[in-house]
Amino acid sequence: MKSRKAVTVLVEIVKYVVLIAGALFTLLPFVWMVLSSLKSGGEIIMIPPTLFPKKVLFSNYVEAWTAAPFPRYFLNTVLVAGITTVGVLLTSILSAFAFARLDFPGKKIVFSLFMATLMIPGEMLLITNFVTITKLGWMDTYQAMIVPWLANVFYTYLLTQFFSSVPDALYLAAKVDKCSDLKFLFKIMVPMNKNAITTVAILSFIGSWNSFLWPLLVTNSKEMRVLSYGLVRFQSEAGAQYQLIMAASCILVLPIVVVYLILRKYILEGMAYTGVKG
Amino acid sequence: MKKKSFKGYIYLAPVLIIMLVFTAYPLVRAFIMSFYEDYNAVNGTYSGINIENYRALFASSDFRTALANTTIYVLFVVPLSVIISLLIANLLNSHIKFQGLFQTLYFLPYVTSVIAIGVVWRWILHSQYGLLNGILNFFGIESIGWLTDRRYSMASLIIFAVWKSLAFNIMIFLAALQGISPDLYSAARVDSTPRWRVFFRITVPAMGPIIAYAFIMGIINAFKVYNEVYALFNGAAGPNGYNSAITIVFYIYDQFYNNKKYGIAAAGSVVLFLLIMVFTMIQKLPAKIRARKEAAQK
Amino acid sequence: MKTKRLVAMGIAAVMGLNLLTACGNGSTSSSSGSGEGVTITFWHAMSNAQEQSLTELTDKFNAENGQGITVELVNQGAYKDLESKLTANAAADTLPDMAQAYNNYVTDYVDKIVPLDDFVKNDFDNWEDIVEGYRIENSEYGFISGLPFNKSTYPFFYNKTMFDELGLEPPKTWEDLETCGAVILEKKGIPMLGYDSMCDMLEIFLRQNGAQYVDETGALFNTPEGLEAVEFILGLYEKGYARLIGEDSYFSNLMSAEQIAGYVGSCAGVTYIVTDNEGHEFELGVAPIAQGKYNAAYNAGTNLMMFTKDEAKQKAVWEYMKFLTSAESQVKWSIDTGYVPVRTSAYESDTYQEFMNGDTPGAITARAAYGQAPYGYVPSNYFKGANEIRNKVSDTLTMCISEGRTAQETVDALVQAIDEVVK
Repeated sequence: MKSRKAVTVLVEIVKYVVLIAGALFTLLPFVWMVLSSLKSGGEIIMIPPTLFPKKVLFSNYVEAWTAAPFPRYFLNTVLVAGITTVGVLLTSILSAFAFARLDFPGKKIVFSLFMATLMIPGEMLLITNFVTITKLGWMDTYQAMIVPWLANVFYTYLLTQFFSSVPDALYLAAKVDKCSDLKFLFKIMVPMNKNAITTVAILSFIGSWNSFLWPLLVTNSKEMRVLSYGLVRFQSEAGAQYQLIMAASCILVLPIVVVYLILRKYILEGMAYTGVKG
Repeated sequence: MKKKSFKGYIYLAPVLIIMLVFTAYPLVRAFIMSFYEDYNAVNGTYSGINIENYRALFASSDFRTALANTTIYVLFVVPLSVIISLLIANLLNSHIKFQGLFQTLYFLPYVTSVIAIGVVWRWILHSQYGLLNGILNFFGIESIGWLTDRRYSMASLIIFAVWKSLAFNIMIFLAALQGISPDLYSAARVDSTPRWRVFFRITVPAMGPIIAYAFIMGIINAFKVYNEVYALFNGAAGPNGYNSAITIVFYIYDQFYNNKKYGIAAAGSVVLFLLIMVFTMIQKLPAKIRARKEAAQK
Repeated sequence: MKTKRLVAMGIAAVMGLNLLTACGNGSTSSSSGSGEGVTITFWHAMSNAQEQSLTELTDKFNAENGQGITVELVNQGAYKDLESKLTANAAADTLPDMAQAYNNYVTDYVDKIVPLDDFVKNDFDNWEDIVEGYRIENSEYGFISGLPFNKSTYPFFYNKTMFDELGLEPPKTWEDLETCGAVILEKKGIPMLGYDSMCDMLEIFLRQNGAQYVDETGALFNTPEGLEAVEFILGLYEKGYARLIGEDSYFSNLMSAEQIAGYVGSCAGVTYIVTDNEGHEFELGVAPIAQGKYNAAYNAGTNLMMFTKDEAKQKAVWEYMKFLTSAESQVKWSIDTGYVPVRTSAYESDTYQEFMNGDTPGAITARAAYGQAPYGYVPSNYFKGANEIRNKVSDTLTMCISEGRTAQETVDALVQAIDEVVK
């Protein structure tokens, strides 16, 4: 009996050691980013590198923040990420419903083609899409940063999985009650899967928030730039002001962390059912 | 049964329209481009229509290395990442203190800036001052030139990539674990089944679909790896001028943006596309065979 | 029905953003017939002090040009970002009115550059005053494709405190490279020399030994002089007098941490060298690079190119180009940024001479740059594949050095790499 208890305690200890070590390991870059953002320009390039700043400089944040019109970038990023997220949710919910509940000619083929597009390396589409945007006259506008991202196969697939797991009986009952498809979708399906939808929302928001190459390509004016552009400004061919890059990175990440902390419960629950019905 | 109608297409319309314009159209263009010899993407001129780009592609030793590296990468990174994530997710889901705190900590890397990650990993893997060699030395193992010795380029890349994919996998596994009905476990507790057996008998089967999902997404993403290489070798594809860690997308990108060989880049992406298709189809094969067998038994 | 409305609403919501953007974005498309009230866009890749100075110059031009020309500056990130943006916009036929560019950016759309020959002939104060190397560079396409603007040279940056302590002068000849390298390695245990750009290092040594480098027909250095130069380079590395950048990012970082005694790199890098780190305080020295049988020093930096097809805008762009390359502007620009003047008269002006006699890092760098200005050359990279050759040569040379290959093997490998691109 006693030895058994000892084993249990040992297992517990090992568990925490693994968890803490793992957490430290995964967190290291994050910690490094924060600590580096407080170092001087000289200290950050020291060899061998230091972990903790010898002198803590909060001024890097001020310098990074004032080096570019960050408030405007911030507003743009929130707008673009927000609208993209709402839009992609809407289109994904509609198409997921079609795949999960409706029967239509060519459904299997469309779905396969759909999934196949997941495999395309996005870089290849860049130039053609850029030309399309200019032909539409959308250069330097919000819709150039938003519209191409309003269809997302990955999210549609995820939501299709969730919607399929809602029992058929519910749908048939709704049909008997003369409930229209659209009403059923938004009155029953969506509320039932609100966790999954929250998850897709945050994934989309993070993706849009961090996107860099495309916004840089389709915007020109200061008024249209987004936050991630602020990072490039501290790098050049001859060297980089790492301390400012790190400070700007922290500024970029902070809102996401806050959003995550607020929605954490929903995200975990939202992910929960993907596995139950494959 | 449900009757077939075209109503489904109304629901699909927004997605289909956007995808036609921004995915299908450029894809078709890339396919056509891959047959243009000496294609100039700026002026739209070319010297002939043939398979010269494909011939040049497979004649290139860099592309062959890229094919091999990408395969190695897929074979190592995906399973390793899934196994480690599964283990950690399981620990996070057991009765531990500060559960919420731990969950948040494991999520944070998911949002850390790519530039910061690259700089940190270059430091961790530095042959002289790096953390990893420090740990190895502590255990009496000699330092390894992770970023200087081309024999270790792929190993470094795999370590980095596994780390990078953990946060997302842990998140979805943890979520799935919390979705497993507690009844299943209480039954096991009554039987006082050992913990590892509970894991393999109950947890793993219940998690089956999500593990499969993580595998497929992992494979697709692994085929598209680019940023990791770029960040690790400071814009190159390996140490000291060697392209020892070059991947298919890195090769495509290099041809497109640096060498301006648009036709070859297009051919490369067509090959990549076919490759991923084949891989995902092979993956689905066992399920299909099983289904056929079952059908035969009935 | 409802679905349709929903979709329509969604699209309308997105389109509605047009309204939002219309007020924020200073659209430049208002074309104007006369030279009056023209707005032109200029895409650049300048940041920090450089962007500051460019903005000051442009503000001055906007206020004083007297023809109602307004120049709008658009920062497009770093050089690489600018290059991709130009390529994409060339494909969409939406190039800006003017931009900074290297010749190798535009090899795929030379036809979209506005030739400046007539402008230079009719309305330019002395083409001969522009430094010769830049005139050649901007005529490589068979017409005048641009005006030089932000030009730099690669001098030798070194740790003056360390050199003084060892009684050393910065190396002036190939021989000095060996003797200085030997002393520093012996006394300090660190290499003396590094090169920011491997392909440019090769070209410097080849030229200094009377060999040629490369042109559109392929490699030109498979000659006794070429072999000798490569042999010398390999020797520097083999003996430990020089080192590769390896897993460290920039030589300016290694210099700041006193891991290397000196390096040859861009003038613009001087702002990244930190000389007052705790435990690593030293005085920075800058000198002209060591010379061989012949003199040669590498020049880098972009030119100003014109793309607008609108005649009124072309005139406006030209006014602005003339302003940026005028002696007065060049003096201010060079003092502010560390770039070197593109005009002989700017070099010789009192203000610039006075500046060079100071002892700021900028002044010391300017003196060194001035010292090697007479040997300056601009590598020719107007032909297709020039970019790829740069990368291939850097990679191959680094590879050969790290493997300790012989000079002949190295030359063979380089020639093969270059010919693969050219053929």
